Amino acid sequence: MAFALHAPRVNNNDDIVQVIAFRVAVGDFVKQGDIVLDVETDKAIVEVAAENAGYVLKLMCAVDDKVAVGSVLLWQGETIDEPVPETAVVAPATGGGNVRPTAKARALLKELGLDAGVVPASGDRLSLADVETYIAAHGIQRRDHIPAVTVSARESVPDVAGELVDLNAEERGMLITVSWHRDHAAATYLEVEYDPKAWEDHAAAYASANKLMLSPLLPLLAYRYVQLAKANPRVNATVVNGKRFQYQPVNLGFTVQAGETLYLTVVRDADALETQPFIEALGEVQRHAIQRKLSREETSGATLAFSSMARWNVSRHIPILPPYCSLMIAHAAPKGSGRAVLGASYDHRVLSGFDVARLLMELAKPPV
Amino acid sequence: MNLDRNAIKAAVRAKVIELAKNLGMDASDIGDDDIIPATGYIDSGAILELVVWYEDAYQMPLRQEEINIDNLGSINSMADFVLKRKG
Repeated sequence: MAFALHAPRVNNNDDIVQVIAFRVAVGDFVKQGDIVLDVETDKAIVEVAAENAGYVLKLMCAVDDKVAVGSVLLWQGETIDEPVPETAVVAPATGGGNVRPTAKARALLKELGLDAGVVPASGDRLSLADVETYIAAHGIQRRDHIPAVTVSARESVPDVAGELVDLNAEERGMLITVSWHRDHAAATYLEVEYDPKAWEDHAAAYASANKLMLSPLLPLLAYRYVQLAKANPRVNATVVNGKRFQYQPVNLGFTVQAGETLYLTVVRDADALETQPFIEALGEVQRHAIQRKLSREETSGATLAFSSMARWNVSRHIPILPPYCSLMIAHAAPKGSGRAVLGASYDHRVLSGFDVARLLMELAKPPV
Repeated sequence: MNLDRNAIKAAVRAKVIELAKNLGMDASDIGDDDIIPATGYIDSGAILELVVWYEDAYQMPLRQEEINIDNLGSINSMADFVLKRKG
């Protein structure tokens, strides 16, 4: 059975990607992980890798096409002569058998341009909840769930001389993200102060022992955060359809400011890494962000997030929760103050203040 | 790309000074053997930018484990590492 490769979500704010180049042609055999095409958003050019090995059966778009995130870019098959579904939206069986989607599930699949075959079914039929669970886990955003970014008709223009100006892509993206935080998460914030000396000493000793160029303070803090989340899975979850969606891996989102662009880079399966491999993995995605060469894997699927504005000498910042993240920790360390702050925005549907305060107090101490 | 050792050193020095200037620091007196992270002229974010610039300027992609004090810690070591890799 043919299987589809979908347009990736490069970042949370772009629902459209533009195809820049194909690196394969119909008939080619590609291995899992081979780069098959390049796509571009307003912020980055990203290489798209094959998720599975197989022959390229059909290209569903052309160079310069603008396609919706989640739509089918190309079809692959185990043999070169497999039939390709007529449209990007198909409703055949899932891996285990002939599981048909319900009408509501089919409508959502169509809206997203998703192949029913990629979505696991929990029962005899592929349900709406199955699709919603799948898109939550993969960071795919529904168009009708994106809050309006235009000025409401009921909103009056200020009674001061001026003009309405269209937002640019980044401004629209930020407005969408902030609106998601406002409309979906029950977001609140708390913070704890701590004496940074123990962490600074720990990081300095680690840097010296490993001859590191970059201070490992933030990577070590982030790694400790991952370990605490691993030990307390409750913090590594979100809510979907009124149920708790417990993430299996800890995929750490880590903000990187690259010029004017703020990326949420992602280290996947961070809980499976030892300290130094984690630091190296984080260093790699940071470099890719600066180079504007982030892959889909490095910009999607965050289950937790971390941010620091210590570089800018900020004393407090209250982060916006990335979609489907219930916790984002914000680090600040005003220079010369002798104190540092760990703050956290959290989704109160998932976590209580006690959960978060306890985690922050543990995080304030380096590992023994 | 000029692979003369003095030219590499001059280019690295200029980049460090530029990055430090962005942070409000004057790094013009940095020594060739000074350990760049220890000087305090540039922070981790700027060191990351320095590394990315270095990879691009000398068309020399680095493995993460190569980004260490021994290879890139000072102006001299950065110049030597280019010549070692390109030599």
